Amino acid sequence: MATETLKQFTRLPQSTYIDALRFLPPLSALDRYVVVASFNSDSDETSIGIHALTSTDTPTLTLQSSFTPSSRTSSLKVAQKSLNPIIAASTVAGFLHILFPNPIDASFESKVPVPEKRLYLGSITGLDLQENGSACVSVGEDGRVNLISVGDSGLDYRQIFDSKGLVSYTAAQWASPFEFATGGLGNLLQWWDQRRPGGPVTQFKGNWANVASSGIVHSIDIHPSRKHTCVAGGSYGSVFAWDVRRPHQSIVLSGIDNSETTTCLSESDVWEVQYDTFMSASDHAKLSTTGVLPVMICSEDGILAVLKQGEEPTELLAENCAINCFDIDQQNPSFRMGVYCFIDEGVAYNDRYGVIGLFSMANGS
Amino acid sequence: MPGLLTESGNSSSVVSYSPAAETPAVYTLHHCLKPPITPRLSISWSRGNTLRVTILRSPETANSVEEEPGGKVVDLKLSGEDVDSEINDAVRWRRIAYGSLSPFAHLQNKKNAMAALSELRHSTPYDGDWSKYVLEYSKEINSLLGSKKSSPASLIEDPKTVLKNVEEPSSLKAAWELLEIFYADKQSHSWILERLVDWLSDYNTLFSGQVPSVHLRLVEFQAELINTQVVENEIKYWQAISSALAVGWLDIAVKLLRLHGSYQLNQLGTRETENGLVEAVAVLVSKMPRMRADLPSGKLGECYFNKSDFVRAWEKWRAQITKLDCSAFWLQCSHHETKENLKNLLQILLGNTSALSSATCHWVELYIAHFLYIRPLTSGLESMYVLAQKCIQLKPTSSPHKLMRLILGILEENTEVVLAECSRSFGPWMIAHATELLTAGSIEAEILLKEERDKLGGISLEESHRLVYAQVLSSHALTWQIAPIYLISCMKHGLGLLEILLYKQPAYHSQVLLKNIEICRMYDLDSVSSNAMKIAGVHHWKHGRKGAGVFWLQQARDEVRLNRIAQKLFDFVGKSISDESFEQWEGLIELLGSESKTAGGLEFLHKYRDFKKSLQQVQDGIFNDAARKAGEALILLMKNPSTPQRFWLPLLYDSLKLLNWQERPLLNVSQTNLLLNKLQELSVARLRPDFVEVGLPPQALSSVRVALATNLGRAILEE
Repeated sequence: MATETLKQFTRLPQSTYIDALRFLPPLSALDRYVVVASFNSDSDETSIGIHALTSTDTPTLTLQSSFTPSSRTSSLKVAQKSLNPIIAASTVAGFLHILFPNPIDASFESKVPVPEKRLYLGSITGLDLQENGSACVSVGEDGRVNLISVGDSGLDYRQIFDSKGLVSYTAAQWASPFEFATGGLGNLLQWWDQRRPGGPVTQFKGNWANVASSGIVHSIDIHPSRKHTCVAGGSYGSVFAWDVRRPHQSIVLSGIDNSETTTCLSESDVWEVQYDTFMSASDHAKLSTTGVLPVMICSEDGILAVLKQGEEPTELLAENCAINCFDIDQQNPSFRMGVYCFIDEGVAYNDRYGVIGLFSMANGS
Repeated sequence: MPGLLTESGNSSSVVSYSPAAETPAVYTLHHCLKPPITPRLSISWSRGNTLRVTILRSPETANSVEEEPGGKVVDLKLSGEDVDSEINDAVRWRRIAYGSLSPFAHLQNKKNAMAALSELRHSTPYDGDWSKYVLEYSKEINSLLGSKKSSPASLIEDPKTVLKNVEEPSSLKAAWELLEIFYADKQSHSWILERLVDWLSDYNTLFSGQVPSVHLRLVEFQAELINTQVVENEIKYWQAISSALAVGWLDIAVKLLRLHGSYQLNQLGTRETENGLVEAVAVLVSKMPRMRADLPSGKLGECYFNKSDFVRAWEKWRAQITKLDCSAFWLQCSHHETKENLKNLLQILLGNTSALSSATCHWVELYIAHFLYIRPLTSGLESMYVLAQKCIQLKPTSSPHKLMRLILGILEENTEVVLAECSRSFGPWMIAHATELLTAGSIEAEILLKEERDKLGGISLEESHRLVYAQVLSSHALTWQIAPIYLISCMKHGLGLLEILLYKQPAYHSQVLLKNIEICRMYDLDSVSSNAMKIAGVHHWKHGRKGAGVFWLQQARDEVRLNRIAQKLFDFVGKSISDESFEQWEGLIELLGSESKTAGGLEFLHKYRDFKKSLQQVQDGIFNDAARKAGEALILLMKNPSTPQRFWLPLLYDSLKLLNWQERPLLNVSQTNLLLNKLQELSVARLRPDFVEVGLPPQALSSVRVALATNLGRAILEE
């Protein structure tokens, strides 16, 4: 059976704290760019920078251009709109920025603050861009759900829902041009459809062990080929999949569960979940079956792993500091390269406390 | 804490504290408030060395401007707290702080394990294993403080490069190594003198900044060497050789000797005897017997591990020197400088006190020279101390270097002086980590450090040093996370201070809160984490995030607050209970969960939602089954003590349709009686002054009463 192994791993120490990072869709065939949202805790300076990634034997990041957001970045997503990259970033102060990098030299062409006034009372906790960059959904801890449509003429926004603080949202993810999922406190997942306004269409509340159901969802991902299934990660190392068509049950991939079959990879917060685009032949076979596709996760206790339903998890990294974010390069299917960072404040790795780790995978058999 | 520990500047002060007044720093506050601002300020300490300044507008001006906040809270970061110039570089300091964490924790675990084991066996707590662990620990920390990295040697060695280009070592590392030599490394005690020789060769450069040193002399000479044609005519050349030789840098001395003009091919013929003498001295230097296990590559001398072997070799070597000294060849040597200076070198080798004294610069160098050439068999700290005193008399310094003070403290066997020196010159990190070395094997030091002192509030010196270090860590946003490791190793006040540290973290910042909870989970501080969650819950609640507030209070299992906020929530619910906007409560009710053990009074909401749902179904289409379920839900709600009284009437009014059910009575006699009793109770309660009237039509009560009476009658008939 094919298993994944870490082929190459490089640490790139940063002088600042890294809040989030994403691979930018390619501007040209040769260049690779990475968007990094950073925070300097000594000077309280925040920045969103585009770095060119040169991946020879020793990968290096070179800053191309940067933008100063209003406060610390809470969420960062990228997409491609008519071949041009588009970046959406939200801040803890409740502002949203849509950035259009110049496709030639990666400089920031226009920096549209969206909109001039604040959309949220408090932090924006999650956002997601449509694959074609035409719309951005954002959620906040104040319980507001907003939709920003990115048109050729400009940006337009409207409020989809306001729970008036009765529900705090922590994550958002598009499923289709009309549907999206949100996550919140109490491991609550909600499914929304723009065609049916007024509130969530359906929702899921974990009904397993008491502890796990009282956690927080930190991240959601939905696979393009499985638009009805959300995979979510959150407190107490819980990672679970939810099929909208069976709203009252979930498949637990990792975490504290009543059943003894589920493995518990970590007991701390799972910060990010993403479907693992790097798939072996057996994984491809699964595409046609009902099982959950492989998921990559990172956690507060420094674990980066791939989870497969019904299999032992593959631990790629076990660091002695938190891994709070990672991203997979969607453009590199056979030989994958990912960027992740240690953003546990204060971890002095190689003299610095923010570290971007670059790794590539090999399909060992 | 520092204020408590500082005493009048004698050696017993344990915390570095400089009362010297410096120029005050001026900070600008960015408060964004429009003038005029009357100076009403509240100042308190925030996290770390951040000052929290609250600027308040005076009430009259606040009223005049609309939408202007009544004040602003500004966090002001104060900088420049590092007294020690060595670790001024924050990044370097953090690397050391994080790096020393795991060796320290590892050693503490070992210590606890050994203590537990010795308790079982009733044996002495320390044995050979312990000193092995301490040495391991010391080596790990030592490697952390920097490595002896020399720049890569070029393939063709430049004969005129005397000194290798090495990175400037840190005095912190030098001090740590000194402590390691004297306290941790028990195995190499028999060749401690040679270790000191090595130590000086590694760190002599550190003295250069403050006092003249052999290192400085060599650096100066090297700079001139390139422009010198005939080296043997230069007095500096001979000075450099004798100095290098005196402090035992044999390789440098030999290398310099071989630069002598007589080695040049065109001169070899005319200066044969002279060259022979130079070479003879060089050979003698490189053959010097040394009492040590081995020599690093490139260093000269012959090693003897056994004392008697060494003494024999030493005598033989000295005999050879004396023989050369009395040789007739000197008469044939025509170069005056060479003759005189070579003879001087022989005097150094023979241990001539005045020759040694003039070849060395400061007392530590002279001290090392004494070990090398006069008393290579000195042993015991007492005799080493006596010798040091003698050297200081010969080469007094007006203001001794901090490393000199440390050496003296160690030789004097005065733990208090060593501690004070560590603390004064190298800061809290050093002292917190060095106590492990000091206590290893020395009963006296252990008593001194572990004895509980009333002056320190009942804690030991060791604990107080750790607490001080933990305070330093706690004061920075990037290091507070590692302070728990040190606090937890403090028996008396550690846990209390850890709790304070965790309480000080801003719990309303969700990332910090989660980190806080994680730390509490690791150290079983359930009460602390539940308090943090309570703070977070109340914070969210106050800022209108009701869901988040309820969530965290639920996590904290805070029944009292949940019940109190339930009452407030019901005020909101009360307005919307009969209309359709109740749907917006859905998310919050889901949060409460079906098992509402931890929901406090809020469980009512959940039951109410279920009731409302079945009532909805009844209205949509007439189903007997749904109606029966709705009736059951109503009874459950009315029976439940957590259902607030003010909802009784609205609930019954909502269920009028159930009470007047056409086909058959849905409630039996006893159920109807229960509802009637509740209605009666409500009528009585209405007379009380604190009763809250709900916004229902005035005939609501009577129509409910009629419906209930009708239902009762039908139920009696049916039974």
